[in-house]
Amino acid sequence: MTELATMEFHPQPQAGEPRPWAFPAPERGALGNGLTVLRCDRPGQQVVAVELFLRAPLDAEPAGLDGVATIMARAFSEGTDKHSAEEFAAELERCGATLDAHADHPGVRLSLEVPASRLAKALGLVADALRAPAFADSEIERLVRNRLDEIPHELANPSRRAAKELSRELFPADSRMSRPRQGTEETVAGIDSAAVRAFYEKHVRPATATAVVVGDFTGVDLDALLDDTLGSWTGSAAEPRPVPPVTSDDTGRVVIVDRPGSVQTQLLIGRTGPDRHDSVWPAQVLGTYCLGGTLTSRLDRVLREEKGYTYGVRAFGQVLRSAPDGTGAAMLAISGSVDTPNTGPALDDLWKVLRTLAEGGLTDAERDVAVQNLVGVAPLKYETAAAVASTLADQVEQYLPDDYQATLYQRLVTTGTVEATAAVVNAFPVDRLVTVLVGDAAQIKGPVEALGIGEVTVVSAE
Amino acid sequence: MIPPKFSAIEGTYMPMGHTATAEAGSGGLTATEHRLANGLRVVLSEDHLTPVAAVCLWYDVGSRHEVKGRTGLAHLFEHLMFQGSAQVKGNGHFELVQGAGGSLNGTTSFERTNYFETMPAHQLELALWLEADRMGSLLAALDDESMENQRDVVKNERRQRYDNVPYGTAFEKLTALAYPEGHPYHHTPIGSMADLDAATLEDARAFFRTYYAPNNAVLSVVGDIDPEQTLAWIEKYFGSIASHDGKPAPRDGSLPEVMGEQVREVVEEEVPARALMAAYRLPHDGTRACDAADLALTVLGGGESSRLYNRLVRRDRTAVAAGFGLLRLAGAPSLGWLDVKTSGDVEVPVIEAAIDEELARFAEEGPTAEEMERAQAQLEREWLDRLGTVAGRADELCRYAVLFGDPQLALTAVQRVLEVTAEEVQEVAKARLRPDNRAVLVYEPTAPAADDATDENEEAAK
Repeated sequence: MTELATMEFHPQPQAGEPRPWAFPAPERGALGNGLTVLRCDRPGQQVVAVELFLRAPLDAEPAGLDGVATIMARAFSEGTDKHSAEEFAAELERCGATLDAHADHPGVRLSLEVPASRLAKALGLVADALRAPAFADSEIERLVRNRLDEIPHELANPSRRAAKELSRELFPADSRMSRPRQGTEETVAGIDSAAVRAFYEKHVRPATATAVVVGDFTGVDLDALLDDTLGSWTGSAAEPRPVPPVTSDDTGRVVIVDRPGSVQTQLLIGRTGPDRHDSVWPAQVLGTYCLGGTLTSRLDRVLREEKGYTYGVRAFGQVLRSAPDGTGAAMLAISGSVDTPNTGPALDDLWKVLRTLAEGGLTDAERDVAVQNLVGVAPLKYETAAAVASTLADQVEQYLPDDYQATLYQRLVTTGTVEATAAVVNAFPVDRLVTVLVGDAAQIKGPVEALGIGEVTVVSAE
Repeated sequence: MIPPKFSAIEGTYMPMGHTATAEAGSGGLTATEHRLANGLRVVLSEDHLTPVAAVCLWYDVGSRHEVKGRTGLAHLFEHLMFQGSAQVKGNGHFELVQGAGGSLNGTTSFERTNYFETMPAHQLELALWLEADRMGSLLAALDDESMENQRDVVKNERRQRYDNVPYGTAFEKLTALAYPEGHPYHHTPIGSMADLDAATLEDARAFFRTYYAPNNAVLSVVGDIDPEQTLAWIEKYFGSIASHDGKPAPRDGSLPEVMGEQVREVVEEEVPARALMAAYRLPHDGTRACDAADLALTVLGGGESSRLYNRLVRRDRTAVAAGFGLLRLAGAPSLGWLDVKTSGDVEVPVIEAAIDEELARFAEEGPTAEEMERAQAQLEREWLDRLGTVAGRADELCRYAVLFGDPQLALTAVQRVLEVTAEEVQEVAKARLRPDNRAVLVYEPTAPAADDATDENEEAAK
């Protein structure tokens, strides 16, 4: 039963003339202390974004001290030789600045955003933090306790819990990647200021760091500003550090993390695959988008828009860690949550979508829409200085050339349907996927076993 | 705690960024206002920095307009707006926008429902055509199948965001405590499962006929646009949609300035740590007192140099996290949200006593000059972020047009925050941040849920 509308209808309009846009090209240089600098002038972006990448990877953390890189990253904003922890936070906020810091497999990232007029002052504070962090005993103690308090919150969150379990399943126990990035209760409890300082002294120096500065530099003498701030940081020369290879076991299997009473089951289905150094990356991006990039992709078309099992399921590829020689890896995964009673049917449909894709491939129309979206959204995605700075820093972190993102768009345009199909089918082979389900085992185990997607084991949520 | 938003899909790119300080703070940014014969208000703002254009449409309807037994209808209806209209098949709205390189979503709050597309500039006309088609002809496509499907999707959205995460229902519980039974803001936009089940196709049709009319909406277009051409397109596509005046006045949301007594609920649930949350009744959005309250909450609980953070997290070390947020509301008193998660075995009364002491001291002394400077710098930056992208600016222009009748107020909002004095901040703190003006929600963790407890709840629900 429908209702007639009374408005005057017009045919769907045609697009106008596209206006040129290109991913910004940074200017690369170095300060006297060896710090690499990428700068990118973005007229109109009066809030400047600064990304600092320190090549202090998680695999450099001493045995039994997982989490020391995270505590160090947080401790950078807890005081210097000039300011106490409280003063440092106050001074930054007085600039209208925000400073985030976190440690991941490739290294530590500090992200500063500040109005251009106060860039000199804020960058001065960050330079102090890198040059002369206080790492006071009492502040480190507090950060450790705070981190210990955070862990139960993470374990209680279904998506965080799923991610933790998938890492433990995929990677060998002696690989840093198998263990939580921010450490466990056991390892974090053993961290003190001496350990933080030792990690800092061994792995943090300007010669292995990069600063990416993006924004409107009108009226800013950036050279002088950088010399006065980050230029005052000194340290020894760089020692190349070997990047350990990433190995994983993607034998098809299912692990249920038991969470009795869950009204939904959190799904995380993954394995590892090629990173951006591999020539397949553009095709993999394209194919993965067609599989699960948005509401109109194959997964949501069935699981959400036909069946209503979920608010949304996404497929994605996320670089874990890259190496100069191309031996790095990305996590390829499908994630989302489905209601408990429909967990079995939803997984059954998900596998059907993957099988149908492997058998019939993508259509040209799907490929075309995906390219138009992935390439077309670039100007909106990179409207802000922060977005540009973050991508440029990712490139540095992953040993990619500065024009990687710009050329990626050209490569996406020339990637065909057949290549995209092959890439996504290789990325998500139905018999090589590790499935983690965080949910009510008593209700979902039977239906999941019946699907035959791999051996099912149940672990406690802790 | 940041009160959640309810969107059509998760993960849609909603850029928040920056702009020139001088532009955003003063008259550098401009907006023009227009009105079609059918009552549609239009706001245009040119910005040629990036070849993108944002379209934003606010309908003056939110969960406050819902009636007893139909909570969640405004939000469920928002989902139906993406299910096709006379000339747009099925998921065509998503397919066409994303295929054009655009990004889109819709969200529902207490006071309004918004829909937005950010497009490459040369695809602007398509977005206008799509919005007009559903404003004028949604009921030509709305059917049982979409209704049943989106009902399931929304119920899964509710499970994912509320029911399956620790503290997930805190926002709902605290809102219900802060606004009395029967008040239009007593329930949140997500609605109850029972009401979502009860909603009928006829309810959705009636909702559209009542609230979705050009004279109940504001359309803003911001970015790399030709205003004359844009206005001509708007006239062409929206001009023939009939206006109607059947909208009932929303129920009165006025309440006394202070609650007069403390309302309190203790929740015993399986959560990772004790928590103390509270909602203080604050002045309406759009008033100078509301801006003063925003500054008071920032000094007390915004960022890592705030009084509560310094007291509870740094010095007493009794909390993992402590902060204040402001939920600005125009049709009812705003709410100041306090969220503290305790550290280790610390008991809630210890935290509560410290907070009361800090609030009393603040009311007595007022903010220091330094605290005012920091809080104003932080809020200024937040405003720059909101106005700095075309999508953010389009949303703010609609907000001020719908809620306060004047879109120009969006462009001067930051100035008003900077004009607030320390005395005004102290005054609002003294009057409002008092124990007898708050609703309090305390979480006490229980042991993991036993199976029989779950069964009892299910029985009760039947």
